[in-house]
Amino acid sequence: MDSSVHLDNIIMQFGDFTAIQKTDLKIESGEFFSFLGPSGCGKTTILNMISGFLDPSEGDIKIGGQSMHNVPANKRPTSMIFQNLALFPLMTVAENIEFGLEVRGVSKSERKKASDRLLELVALQGSGDKKVSELSGGQKQRIAIARALAVEPQVLLLDEPLSALDLKLRQHMRTELKEIQRKTGITFIYITHDQGEALTMSDRVAVMSAGKIQQVADPITLYRDPHTAFVASFVGENNGVRGKVIETNDTMTTLDCGPLGALKGRTQGALQLGDEATVFIRPEHFRLQSENGMHTLQAIIEEVNFEGAYLTLNANTSTDQTLSIQLGTHQFFEALKKGAAVSLSYKEEDAIVIAGYDHV
Amino acid sequence: MFSQLKARFGSGLAVGIVGMIAIWLVGMVILPQLLMVDYSFRPNLLPADIGGPKDTYSLTNYETLFSNQIHLKIFFKTIWSSVLVTTITLLVSYPIAFYLAKVATPQKAALCLLLLIIPFWINEILRTFSWYIILAYKGPLNALLLGLGIIDRPVRFLSGDGGVLIGMVYAYILFMIFPIYNAIESLDTNQIKAARNLGAGWIRTHWRVIIPHAKPGIATGCVMTFMLAAGSYAVPALLGSPGSRWFTQIIYNWFFEGGDWNQGAAYAFILLLMCIGFIALVMRVFKVGLGDIAK
Repeated sequence: MDSSVHLDNIIMQFGDFTAIQKTDLKIESGEFFSFLGPSGCGKTTILNMISGFLDPSEGDIKIGGQSMHNVPANKRPTSMIFQNLALFPLMTVAENIEFGLEVRGVSKSERKKASDRLLELVALQGSGDKKVSELSGGQKQRIAIARALAVEPQVLLLDEPLSALDLKLRQHMRTELKEIQRKTGITFIYITHDQGEALTMSDRVAVMSAGKIQQVADPITLYRDPHTAFVASFVGENNGVRGKVIETNDTMTTLDCGPLGALKGRTQGALQLGDEATVFIRPEHFRLQSENGMHTLQAIIEEVNFEGAYLTLNANTSTDQTLSIQLGTHQFFEALKKGAAVSLSYKEEDAIVIAGYDHV
Repeated sequence: MFSQLKARFGSGLAVGIVGMIAIWLVGMVILPQLLMVDYSFRPNLLPADIGGPKDTYSLTNYETLFSNQIHLKIFFKTIWSSVLVTTITLLVSYPIAFYLAKVATPQKAALCLLLLIIPFWINEILRTFSWYIILAYKGPLNALLLGLGIIDRPVRFLSGDGGVLIGMVYAYILFMIFPIYNAIESLDTNQIKAARNLGAGWIRTHWRVIIPHAKPGIATGCVMTFMLAAGSYAVPALLGSPGSRWFTQIIYNWFFEGGDWNQGAAYAFILLLMCIGFIALVMRVFKVGLGDIAK
């Protein structure tokens, strides 16, 4: 069954405010797709449009190739898991799960079968007669998933459903969600501001900022080849050093970074001589020993944190920029103390140069 | 309770507060009511006979109602009409309360609430008189309906139950809207979205999710409206007389025109008992406890 979701040139405006700039995006059938961005970037608006709680000002949303124009929320083949779960507190667990089927006029015995099957899927057999208030946070989470799956949606929409859980449970639920998605083959659209969630679970991620999709890619590409300065700084930790382009070709670009000297990295997008740009170096790409072809930055150590397998440093450059560095503890580190001077080297092919600056 | 007050205000003030409440409760509520109970079981006698051999307790005053067909009919009419007023008020108020709580923007809701409250700054008699004018045989409502061609001769709203119903629904609507509004307001909007998302149409969303949540508010509104309607005097006196008499008018007549306080007290208690019975019934039907209503 085709359960793709096509955001066909949609725009969303609230009065003068453009919440979603023109977006054309196709989410494939059976894909685990995430929208990742800071709060207020418009990702929840997209979810509300897909589920039918909002109508786009322009463009159309197509699910399985069918236009959703004029299809009300209760007639769409989507099902949503809310941030606060929104379980019905006055109904039992089974009544919650069966609600969507009750609406569709499914007989009582069929409903019971379905809820038993779903309770088994989420490993909560025999909890059907419990009250919602008797469940723990993680159990409520699973009931919300079961309730949403009960209506056999083509598309499951998840609005930061793990944000209320503690860290351990959250990591466990990630695996579980991924597993459920694999078993059911439903298209999952996941909204989050937590990049860890987006990167570990998704097939593809759309990074959003201020109502605009910055980049759509699989997690590895997002991390290795960010297209914009926003994506480079938002996804994973990164050190951005600003400068002016003094030399550029299709593969490599060199920036004049003032007192920090000339820094080189891979070219991202079109760059012209004299453009303002940022070279991004990941914390784990710094080395203490310089080898051939490496670029070096001088800095003073501000803070040292030993984390077992690795060590994180904060170091200040002469331009008072704080760099974040991650070193394997097999490297020599006894001399790394607050106030000590270090030479930080990186391979130019590990760094990336992107036009413009970003405030992050 | 007392120790909390004592800890907060010191023993002098605490005794003062509790004492004043006690005086108010005992002196102004309990004793007068007990006196009325006492009255209701005794015959209406000349001052000289009070305390004499004729002054004995009996159920005679209560029996009077059941032997007087007209009074009995008015009694049940009052109860029935009050149920009707409560039902109509509920039907009118629920959509308004839902609109205010979940549909309107905060600004619009505030404006609507203000528009609802302002008329209630005018006292009940004046408001009822304005309905008297609106509903008059040659009044504006008839003129409007005639003008629109909906009716071809004026309707006598004021000589039957119609005028009383309209007047009462209007008079008590706020007592219904506010408790329901408060109840619906406290419902998480995501619950409504979740129901919609799972495929529920509007009727089912209200029936399965919103109304169950608003039940305590609905029960509170119904109880208040019913009590006020059953105990109303001004509205039926102005808008219903002489065609539609209310039981309160008969009680009034016993007290102030018949001069028979004993008989009036007995009638008043029968009405009170009936109202308490109604509250118990409503709470039973809506499956709410006293604690829910007090919320």
